[in-house]
Amino acid sequence: MDILISSIAAGLLIGMVLAFMSMGLTIIFGVMEIVNFAHGEFLMIGMYTGLLTAQATGIDPLLTLPVAALVGFLLGIICYYGFIKFLMRGPMVAQLLGTFGLMLFLRNLALLFFGPDDRAIHHGILVGKSFNLGMGVIVPATKVAAAGLSVVTFLAVWLLMNRSKIGKALTATSLNAQGARYMGIPTEWMNALAWGIGGASATIAGALLVNFWSVNPFVGILFTMIAFAIVALGGFGSVPGTFLAGLVVGLITEVPGFWDFFTYTFNWNWMADVPMTSLKYMWVYLTYFIIMMVRPRGLFGWKR
Amino acid sequence: METLRSALDFSDFPRIDLIVAGGIAASIVIFPLIPHSAFAMATMIQFFIFSLYGMGWNTIGGYGGQVDLGKAQYVGIGAYTTTVMLIRWDVPFWISMPIGMCFAVIWSFIIGYPLFKLKGHYFAIATIATALVLQDIFEVWNFVGAARGLEISPVKYPSPDFLRLIFKEDVYYYYVILGFFFLGILYINWFRKSRLGYQLRSIRDNEDLARSLGINVHWAKIKTYAIATAFVSMAGSFHACYIKSIEPEDTMSLDLSILIALMAMLGGAGSLWGPIIGAAVLIPLKSYLAEWLGARVGLVGIDLIIYALIIMVISAFEPRGIWGILEKVRRRKGR
Repeated sequence: MDILISSIAAGLLIGMVLAFMSMGLTIIFGVMEIVNFAHGEFLMIGMYTGLLTAQATGIDPLLTLPVAALVGFLLGIICYYGFIKFLMRGPMVAQLLGTFGLMLFLRNLALLFFGPDDRAIHHGILVGKSFNLGMGVIVPATKVAAAGLSVVTFLAVWLLMNRSKIGKALTATSLNAQGARYMGIPTEWMNALAWGIGGASATIAGALLVNFWSVNPFVGILFTMIAFAIVALGGFGSVPGTFLAGLVVGLITEVPGFWDFFTYTFNWNWMADVPMTSLKYMWVYLTYFIIMMVRPRGLFGWKR
Repeated sequence: METLRSALDFSDFPRIDLIVAGGIAASIVIFPLIPHSAFAMATMIQFFIFSLYGMGWNTIGGYGGQVDLGKAQYVGIGAYTTTVMLIRWDVPFWISMPIGMCFAVIWSFIIGYPLFKLKGHYFAIATIATALVLQDIFEVWNFVGAARGLEISPVKYPSPDFLRLIFKEDVYYYYVILGFFFLGILYINWFRKSRLGYQLRSIRDNEDLARSLGINVHWAKIKTYAIATAFVSMAGSFHACYIKSIEPEDTMSLDLSILIALMAMLGGAGSLWGPIIGAAVLIPLKSYLAEWLGARVGLVGIDLIIYALIIMVISAFEPRGIWGILEKVRRRKGR
């Protein structure tokens, strides 16, 4: 029973961080209808930013969020003005492969600067501490903090999107770019802003993740695929849908835990032989595939 | 007969193109006779293999406009079928290659049927997802060596072994793949003028219009996907015999899928020569950059950075690739 509960707890906690990460992708897609394959690479850069800032200044990794947010925001805006703007004129094929090029570029730049080794954070106030929820369920404090901060920032961005003037301008741009331009909304700047917010959400999530997830230049693609699965499930362009879908996908990443639970509960030997931990992310990819087949609009999608 | 004549008929290209193409063909046929380094030879063989991958991608991605970013799964199926059959049951290449193609085509039908209900981005991401699922399965599947992969030991077979395609000298591989390469060009030349080829191009340009003309869009895409798959799987089988060591990490990786798509894109998707030009530019560039900058100077990843920059520039400024640039120049001159 404790395996089940701790799996659910771990899944929900990681799900909150993943939901926050995916929000950037959904905002970019909602505003510009371009799929950013480099999203996971933004997250990887956020992880390195958090890690290196924490190591260089000696502050707690959780306090590096503003730095990561700034880096991500600037990176998003630079990418938009330097590259995506030109890409948008081309056909869809070029857009797909163009963001793929961006992904390769960022990944190998990181490889050049940081080397291929895994790096992890070993210091900080919360590292090594954990909460005991009773019944043998123990959750690491870093995960709880990361999940909590994700929810807070998620709400902040959601309020920004729904209550502020900038958010309304962004929504207007995504609904009808030409109409928005006639109303005096600087759509070009709105697109850039969407990239800025998208990049910042990825890097913040990265800085949160690095507290309990070791980083190397190749982690990006995994998160890109997870983000695609979440966004597809929640509906491309829907922010609340993203949150719910994040929790669901978070639980799916914990499938090995559930598998163990059933193995022990029912004592089925054949289940123990399946190398479930190695197949951990296969379920996420399969989820994407099945969602696209069954309900391409996603749970709350309003755009196809 | 009609098919053969169509395949051999290149007369719709300008004469200057054909002269250049003929000159290049003649020079690659005699390439092994002139002095060359072993590295150049290996690069040439890589170029042929990747041209075949690119030609396969070009049928569905270029002529059909469906961006497939999961081609590596078919490379993997072809390579694994050949290797497993050779190691376990000593089945020669010429039998295991068609079997691998059959497996790949069956798999392409299984996933192609649902996949082609999707369009655009959704389709591209879904192809990645299927490729990653298959890679994950191969990484834990003990029968095919799991994550360690499989190795063909060349000492067991006396070289040259034409049945199993195990050679010590690269020159044999060179001529075998050269044969496949020319056959591939002929096939694509036939394909682009076939009924299916025209149907595909109309689907790419306007899918609704194509449907209203009575074209079975879904079935046409699935058929083309199977053709593309067969190409890639065939080259994958050869790749396994040539490399002699396969593992899911590089035979089925996403990077390989992307590389295949990019090559066709760089050269010019939807043209006969596009993927070949793309491979001719990218493969030597990639291997020589890796050799000079990566291995000698010790800058890991710099080759891929330059390569990514090329992709970014091409996709932002000339999405129709090198062939598109050539045609633009030619049209301007003609005016």
